[in-house]
Amino acid sequence: MIGLILFVAFFGLMFLGVPIGVALGVGGMVAIMLENPDTLLWGTLAAPQNFHAGIAKYPLLALPMFVLVGSIFDRSGVARRMVNFAIACTGRGPGMLPVVAILVAMVLGGISGSGPANAAAVGGVMIAAMARAGYPAPFSASVVGAAAATDVLIPPSIAFIVYSVIVPGASVPALFAAGMFPGILAGLALIIPAIWLSRHHGLGTAERDLPRPPFWKSLREASWGLAAPVLILGGMRAGWFTPTEAAVVAVLYGLFVGIVIHRSMGLRDLWDTFREATEISAVIMLVLGLAAIFAYAVSTLGMADPLVEAIRGLGWSSALTLTLLAVLLLIVGMFLDGVSIFLIFLPLLLPLMKLYQWDPVWFGVLMTMLVAIGQFTPPMAVNLLVSCRIAGVRIEQTVPWVGWLVFSFLMATVLVAVFPELALWLPRSLGY
Amino acid sequence: MSSSTEPDATPAPRAPVMIEEIIAVACMVVLVLLTLINVVIRYFTDASFAATEEVSISLMVVMTVAGACAAAARDRHIRIEYFYETGSAARRKRLALLSAAVTCVFFVVLSALSARVVWDEYHYQETTMALGLPRWWFTVWVPAMCLVLALRAAAVARKVRRGLMLPGTQPAAAGSPLTGGAHAADLDRSQARRDATGDDR
Repeated sequence: MIGLILFVAFFGLMFLGVPIGVALGVGGMVAIMLENPDTLLWGTLAAPQNFHAGIAKYPLLALPMFVLVGSIFDRSGVARRMVNFAIACTGRGPGMLPVVAILVAMVLGGISGSGPANAAAVGGVMIAAMARAGYPAPFSASVVGAAAATDVLIPPSIAFIVYSVIVPGASVPALFAAGMFPGILAGLALIIPAIWLSRHHGLGTAERDLPRPPFWKSLREASWGLAAPVLILGGMRAGWFTPTEAAVVAVLYGLFVGIVIHRSMGLRDLWDTFREATEISAVIMLVLGLAAIFAYAVSTLGMADPLVEAIRGLGWSSALTLTLLAVLLLIVGMFLDGVSIFLIFLPLLLPLMKLYQWDPVWFGVLMTMLVAIGQFTPPMAVNLLVSCRIAGVRIEQTVPWVGWLVFSFLMATVLVAVFPELALWLPRSLGY
Repeated sequence: MSSSTEPDATPAPRAPVMIEEIIAVACMVVLVLLTLINVVIRYFTDASFAATEEVSISLMVVMTVAGACAAAARDRHIRIEYFYETGSAARRKRLALLSAAVTCVFFVVLSALSARVVWDEYHYQETTMALGLPRWWFTVWVPAMCLVLALRAAAVARKVRRGLMLPGTQPAAAGSPLTGGAHAADLDRSQARRDATGDDR
């Protein structure tokens, strides 16, 4: 009964447009009060304690640091130089510019950890370039929005940091390594329909005869940006830094490149960058803290266990449960951002993971892929919103194009679900 | 970049700086420096600087609540905006009022409860584990900032009631940064600046 009130209060407020964190907090607080009618202040002193404990975790420090890295590289001018270099490699044939957009988004994904920041950085350069080359704006917005979704898979990823904070037995380095091949697979899954759509509809032929940028010069200019993922991932792999420290080193490197090398950042940008990164981190971490109140209420009410018992009673196979769960996450992913989905659902999914003995690292990668699809599936697609805004199109206009990309990304997810080794081989052979 | 294809190419007004923002950004800067010093000291000496961990954690909490205040004032917290966007102006106004009111009440309660926790820490003279400093020095910020957040939400409610602000209608000014709101606004601004100086390099 109290459990029902908890979920009705939470979902009701959330659908009425109350901030998700507040909806979680109110639901949790009300449930705690109903559960403890006789204790001091109805047991609500647990609320501030759990709020504090939800944020005050040292591994979580990697989150604001990687958000800052994303904000800095977003403004440091590396995206434009990488695009130049990629065009020098691929040429300007039909379907090549979308491939450039996807590849650059993947490399930038190896620097920043958040999809919308990536969509803004790549979209800012690529959408105008694609318009000049004759690609329709809704197509360009779809490609950039989808490409930026590979960001949450390719390390470093903010989604993985949050997952690792909640799920025991899934360390940040292991998740980062596990996301590598699924991320590349997802990138390939976007490149194929992008080329096919361009060829089939005869898009992007306006600039095919323009000369390619000179290879060595563009490589030299792009090398500062290309070195960043090597520094971050290599430094972590070599054991020089923890994930948090790698992020801080990347912050310094990004500032150096932006201010001294590319000179695309001034003092004013510095304030904007820090202000934006602080706000994004604060918004995420506030939900994290308030979700801890909700999770506390869920666990003291003992709600997860009956749910798991009910599912065990149904006698579903692991595959069937996983499929239904995937459908649920896809639907939820259309309306909610990834981090919120993790915070709301993981406390309920943890016992389910134990019941079916799913590998926590593999499950994290799978869940992240499903959430990534939601980031570019209309109507509530965070990445697509950013790229549509840059392209000046409405989100409905992307539907005929983005559907193919969603389908293809989904196929990549199915592959990872069927062959867990795609995710688990790398972390195991690296010894995480 | 394509400002010419933008339907609304007028640059978003530069938002005024809030005191909470300065606090939050200062926390972020100190967090970066502390972590950096940690790396350097670990590499060049054998000394452990690990006691800063608890300072970092506390700064992170302060950054969260202070940054959340600024986000509340700008109405940028993560929410489902679907019913805002599909509804009439009157419904949007009602929903925005409800949202601000619930936020305000919740944070008043959370502020009072955490003030109670901090009072206990002060009363029983609890100290932090590594540095042995009074714990309330680190935690007193939470109730204070939660109260500020409630006030910011109340201010939003007042603006909405007077028709000065309607969340969900101005994508450049409203919407959470995760849904592209803040980011798009910044993008417009930096684009406007580049257009003005003719510098895209």
